Amino acid sequence: MIRLRDVSFRHEGVRDDVREDNQGGIALRRLSFDVPQGGFRWLLGPSGAGKSSLLRLLHLAVRPTSGRMEILGMDMDQTRRAALARLRRRIGVVHQDFRLLPDLPVFDNIALPLRLQHRPEDEIRDEVLSILDWVGLRARATARPPHLSGGEQQRVAIARAVIHRPALVLADEPTNALDDQQASRLMELFQDLAGLGTTIVVATHNDGLVRRYPAHELELAHGRLVRDG
Amino acid sequence: MDGWCAMADRAASGRRASWSQARRADGLALRNAIPDRLLPVLVAAMAVLAAMALAGATGARVLSARWTTGAASIVTVQVPRPDDPALSAPIAAQPAPLSRGDAVLAALADMPGASRVHRLDRTELEALLSPWLGHGGGFALALPAVIELHFDRAGAGDADALAARLNARAPDTLVERNSLWSDRLGDLARSLQTCAILAVLIVVAVAAATIAATTRAGLGARRQAIELIHSLGATDGYIAGRFARRTAVLAFTGGLIGSLLALPLLVLLSHLAAPFAGPPAMATPPDASGWAGLLDALPLPLAVTLLSLAPAAALIGWLTTQVTVRTWLRRLP
Ligand SMILES: Nc1ncnc2c1ncn2[C@@H]1O[C@H](COP(=O)(O)OP(=O)(O)OP(=O)(O)O)[C@@H](O)[C@H]1O
Ligand SMILES: [Mg+2]
Repeated sequence: MIRLRDVSFRHEGVRDDVREDNQGGIALRRLSFDVPQGGFRWLLGPSGAGKSSLLRLLHLAVRPTSGRMEILGMDMDQTRRAALARLRRRIGVVHQDFRLLPDLPVFDNIALPLRLQHRPEDEIRDEVLSILDWVGLRARATARPPHLSGGEQQRVAIARAVIHRPALVLADEPTNALDDQQASRLMELFQDLAGLGTTIVVATHNDGLVRRYPAHELELAHGRLVRDG
Repeated sequence: MDGWCAMADRAASGRRASWSQARRADGLALRNAIPDRLLPVLVAAMAVLAAMALAGATGARVLSARWTTGAASIVTVQVPRPDDPALSAPIAAQPAPLSRGDAVLAALADMPGASRVHRLDRTELEALLSPWLGHGGGFALALPAVIELHFDRAGAGDADALAARLNARAPDTLVERNSLWSDRLGDLARSLQTCAILAVLIVVAVAAATIAATTRAGLGARRQAIELIHSLGATDGYIAGRFARRTAVLAFTGGLIGSLLALPLLVLLSHLAAPFAGPPAMATPPDASGWAGLLDALPLPLAVTLLSLAPAAALIGWLTTQVTVRTWLRRLP
């Protein structure tokens, strides 16, 4: 469950000279919206609109400059540092730039969320091998991310985001390196997960995909929410 | 096409693919972040320095204990005109009037706490005075009687009360406690100890600074991985603990190497120090019990020092790294 009230965010070190074209560096202005548990949201808007910035807020990589934000039922103003870490373990993120660790094999990259939960190693192996099958990368389990194609890296990032069955999945353009068939499979996965109660927000430029899988849309322009429906 | 959710739920433990390496890789790669050469070598060097400083402190403490008890436990009594008759005894009737020297000796015989009363004979007196009066004996001067009074414990015997008591029998008798010696020796020992402790503190500070710098270099090298696992929900405690265990192990290794290197040095030092740990020159030649006591006393604190070097280094490493990493992590939200 997500609840934002008048949330603004300005990147650190960026001056607050407010300009209507959003070139002043205020990434997000007074956003208010809710996403219920198990809800699916498309996050739309032109490049630079603030989609990635909003996702960073939602996965607690940055704190709002102002406003109130509640993630998975926890109020960010009142949440202590240790609780934030616990909260992050219930969130899965597909970064726009993947953020795989280049010196760890694919297997270990995907296993990271489970290892941070101190799950038994044989259980981790089963889970990781299973999802490697699903993303079609079992044969690449020992490869390092720099030796993978863009689409393969994106599939590793997707696998890492969902391996631990998070309560909230945030995906930043998760299909931009995938072919149509892989994109469709990913959408089916998201629908399955949402059906199981996972809250999902997907930022995308892929209009075709949005048309094929119509859902509730959040649209940003110049850091403002211009559509919620 | 089968969905992953359904597939994963069926994931049986029967899967035992070629992937059998059970490694706990969390991306921190601390073996690369904090290499295992430099830190142990630096810590070993500092452990040797700390061991020598601690040996100095221990030595100063043991020697000062010896010296001050040795010097303080001697009271010198000088009786001028020892052969003149003493004043009459206040108590019992004496069969014959005693000489002043003998009267003082008799009065000292039942001193509580005195282990030995020794009147220097003519030869000893001449030896004592020869630096000033030259050899040859037969001094024209009337020499006082000099009586050495040995106490078991330092500070035993009240010199003023004793002087009053002796002057009742032999006026002009001087009682001198050798406290100047012991005070100076005590001051010297305390200064040495302070220096040694200061040296240890400096070594600890340098060790902590070295470990902090190494840790910060490691944090910088693994910045990307740390930021990632932080975003995946790794706690500060987890990350700091991983780094701290690494530096603690390396510092422990360094401490161990350092104490092995310091061992021969300390043995040598304690042997060199042994002759000086006896009572000082004024006293009688060192007796067997003093030597045995020294040999018992010195090795134990040194052994404890040596044994505690590696754990102490590990503790310093662990604490320093915990603080360094947790401080560094504060930059992350
Ligand atoms: N680290 C940063 N420091 C300063 N400004 C930033 C930073 N990251 C993003 N911005 C600015 O914030 C605004 C929103 O960026 P953001 O990345 O959220 O856009 P976006 O909608 O994800 O765009 P895209 O579709 O191209 O990914 C942009 O003007 C961008 O220049
Ligand atoms: Mg973006």
